[in-house]
Amino acid sequence: MMKQETTQKPMAEQDFSLNLEDLRPRPKEKKHLSEYFMPRRHSFIIFHPDRCTGCGACEMICSTRNVEKVAPVSASVKVVRDQKEGKNFSILCQHCRKPLCLPACPTRAIEKGDDGIVRIDKLFCTECGLCTMACPAAAPIKDPGSQEIHKCDLCEGDPLCVKHCPENALTFTRGKAVRWIKGLRWTSQLISFLLLVMVFVGTFCYFRTGSVSFACPTGTLQNIASSGTIVLVGVSSALALLILTVLAGRLFCGWVCPFGFVLDVVDKITPRKIGWPSFLKSRMTKYGVLAGAVGGSYALGFQVFCTVCPIGTLCRSYGVQSFFRSAELAIVPVLASLEIAQRRSWCRYFCPVGAVLGLTALLRMIKIVIGAKKCKKFSCIQCAEVCPVGIIDADKLREGLSPKIPMTECIMCMRCVDRCPYSAAKIRFRWQRATPGEGRI
Amino acid sequence: MKNTKDKIDEAKRASGADSCVECGRCVAVCPMAEMYANFSIEMSPRGIIKKTLMGDPVVEDKNIWYCTECNAGTDTCPQGVSCRDLIRKLREAAVDENLLENAKTCKCCGRAFVAIPVEDFVFARLKDEPANVFGVLDICPPCRREIYLLRNA
Repeated sequence: MMKQETTQKPMAEQDFSLNLEDLRPRPKEKKHLSEYFMPRRHSFIIFHPDRCTGCGACEMICSTRNVEKVAPVSASVKVVRDQKEGKNFSILCQHCRKPLCLPACPTRAIEKGDDGIVRIDKLFCTECGLCTMACPAAAPIKDPGSQEIHKCDLCEGDPLCVKHCPENALTFTRGKAVRWIKGLRWTSQLISFLLLVMVFVGTFCYFRTGSVSFACPTGTLQNIASSGTIVLVGVSSALALLILTVLAGRLFCGWVCPFGFVLDVVDKITPRKIGWPSFLKSRMTKYGVLAGAVGGSYALGFQVFCTVCPIGTLCRSYGVQSFFRSAELAIVPVLASLEIAQRRSWCRYFCPVGAVLGLTALLRMIKIVIGAKKCKKFSCIQCAEVCPVGIIDADKLREGLSPKIPMTECIMCMRCVDRCPYSAAKIRFRWQRATPGEGRI
Repeated sequence: MKNTKDKIDEAKRASGADSCVECGRCVAVCPMAEMYANFSIEMSPRGIIKKTLMGDPVVEDKNIWYCTECNAGTDTCPQGVSCRDLIRKLREAAVDENLLENAKTCKCCGRAFVAIPVEDFVFARLKDEPANVFGVLDICPPCRREIYLLRNA
């Protein structure tokens, strides 16, 4: 095939250039079927700065593996000492999920194996040092003597530095085993969906058994605005959800809301997002929708938003209903289709129920913290990826700082807490510090 | 104070460039062919060695700044010419002559640690990564480790 083409072209137009892609094509990423259900847990070394004394035993033992003599300069772990404050830190390869050294290597000597270990192939390595340039922590270390690049390969699963650290400042783990919050949340969402939508028809908006009554807070606000009278029973029943929000944040949105469950299911079906135009990306829109709903109710004399509310529509419309009731249900697929643009885009930008809960969450008692000390920063950033409302600042994490999580926007789905392999994302009381010795976030 | 000619002579002596036989093996293994689209004989180690031996003005040449100072050419040379050492010495001579427009200096310590064309290559390769990563490329690796320590410990 190639021969025919070259014979047809004149000599000057022939393209003889062969690049690295032709000689050594990069292996395609394969995802095993089981990884969709349970992501692989790659092993890694955790460093505890509070335990490190800076003795340099890790450097010495590492160099015996690299150059077969004790020479700390040629180790692939580097202990950096801050003389002013007396702090020690050992820099070692974090085996990033998306390594930056990998695209920077001009000879493609660096590869990430199926076991998650990023290795340098000594055969192809030309010791140019561009991986050190690209790494945010400068973890691949150039040996000043032999000019070779040394990078941690976890000693192929049995790290020497971990064994020889006298203070156990380095630990070798595989991360959390069970992600039990995930199952709990899906179960809670499914049960509340079945209960609210199919068993108790119309329950979310208002229901009453005996002396116990419950009402939607947004509906109550519109009711007050439209009728001009305050019914104490209605207000007190609306308080139930607000008290839950004060105690546990917007737990309703992530764990109970039936429309949120629909959105999560639609999100599973459409994993690829097309993005949202930036002029609509304002989280304040939902407060505007809330103000519009209350003002409209006052002007028109009936509860305006409740006629199109996706949560209420879902709750009211199950079973054999009148034609109008069933036609109401059309709002649900329309709003659920917003999920193609961004995850939970309705909850992020428009939902007035979430707006009321968000305002209540200003009085919250708990918060979610991502402690930068335990966090592995640029090498992981899974929390920002799994966050359905996108409030975790990935750039802050890449810089190595703790991101501030706005609890008015957080829907308390606890995906970040569940996913974090280093248990850096945690639930804390509002007045607590994240970890001992760490500043208030 | 040595003048530039003496420095070039010293570079020739230290790297053994005099014994170059122009076999072109260093050009065959040079990773710059993969890195730069405009890779040419002037840019290749063979071209630079030839220019140095012929006594052409090599210190002012931009081509000495494309090298990543890798060890591939030195490893493969049958005559033991270290083109890395040659280019390092030439760059030192260029820095002494204040030809600094192609050398990137560290934001923290002010040391010249990477050449601008090499940095441009890394920039181009990390183009798809989030823009925040580019902040670390202004800092030399030892300073970067110090900053990483201060942030994390």
